[in-house]
Amino acid sequence: MMKNALLILLALALGFAGGLAYAWLLAPVEYVDASPALLRADFKDQYRIVIAASYAASHDLARARARLSLLSASPLDDLNAQAQRMVGAPDAAQNLQLLAQLATDLQNGAVSALPGAASTVTPSPAIVESALPEETPRSVFITEAPTAEFIQTPFAFSAFTLTPAMPTATAPSARPFVLIGQEEVCNSSLPPGLLQFNLVDARRAGIPGVEITVTSIEGEEILFTGFKPEVGAGYADFIMKENVSYSARVGAGGAFISNLSAPACNGFLGGLALAFQQR
Amino acid sequence: MKFSHWLIALAAVLTGVALGLFYGWVVQPVQYVDVTPGILRADYRADYILMVAEAHQQEQNAEMSARRLAALGSEAPAEMVAWAVEYAAQNGFSAAEMALLRGLLNAMQTYQPQGGGAP
Repeated sequence: MMKNALLILLALALGFAGGLAYAWLLAPVEYVDASPALLRADFKDQYRIVIAASYAASHDLARARARLSLLSASPLDDLNAQAQRMVGAPDAAQNLQLLAQLATDLQNGAVSALPGAASTVTPSPAIVESALPEETPRSVFITEAPTAEFIQTPFAFSAFTLTPAMPTATAPSARPFVLIGQEEVCNSSLPPGLLQFNLVDARRAGIPGVEITVTSIEGEEILFTGFKPEVGAGYADFIMKENVSYSARVGAGGAFISNLSAPACNGFLGGLALAFQQR
Repeated sequence: MKFSHWLIALAAVLTGVALGLFYGWVVQPVQYVDVTPGILRADYRADYILMVAEAHQQEQNAEMSARRLAALGSEAPAEMVAWAVEYAAQNGFSAAEMALLRGLLNAMQTYQPQGGGAP
């Protein structure tokens, strides 16, 4: 009797194992209606780039946010992480600019001037004046740990008059930047050798997505503004090493600053804050 | 072993198989992660193509748009967009969205890949 029960149990177990092997290995459930959240990491990256490119064209921030939320619960972090991964990749500059713009606008909760859009848009001067009140100059550099508060004054892109048939404006990123301020920052609570960039337009609004090339004898590094929107849309930073001289080029054909090095403060390595304005 | 014993054993095996299949397909099916965009649900797929169309309207870069569409699979870009146009028509997409998709469809129908670099 006992032997029979064991045999039945064994047969049952064998059948179960066979059924499971078939269900998991030979004929697993086939997904045909997957959601974007299940995509492989590289496809998610591609998806985000397409969302950013679409946003650059449509300026529909709510829709871009909804689309990003399909991929993960923390879209802003993921955008920044993707940007870090893409820095240095060939042909990444345009995509980085798109991602930076989207990250900045998500952070600020408002659509800002889009570099791609500006090249095909001729804003009415009268309307721009009323839509963009003159801002008072402000500093967005980090001078106190952990971070300085940055208040972005959003403006509505829809206030522009769009006349795509007459592309006369130059894209903001194509206009040269000039150095308007350089100061040493001696604050022991900041990372040693912190080189801070703040890029603003003529109205002192931060400009995201601008490429900055920092060069030293150790090589070249490319940064983009806008990936720390909590500090400022036109902010980017870099860590300098002690006793190394750096040069920086801001934007395409823009200001070239040489002999940048971390200053010695009272017993610690200080940093530099550079302010650039677009002409 | 009696014939009835064989029958009981066979019944036990079949019961086991049935339980195994139920467990493997229903209770604990294979969890897919890292899937490719080829198996995206139709509405997500259509929305992806719409995003490509929105970007294309501004960039006017057929090469770039075709490369973005290639993430969805090995189908010809024009076929993908034609499917999206059909889907959009059946699912109440706005006139503006339909126009964007048609614009992309036109571009993809005349698009010629450059020297093997593009998909």
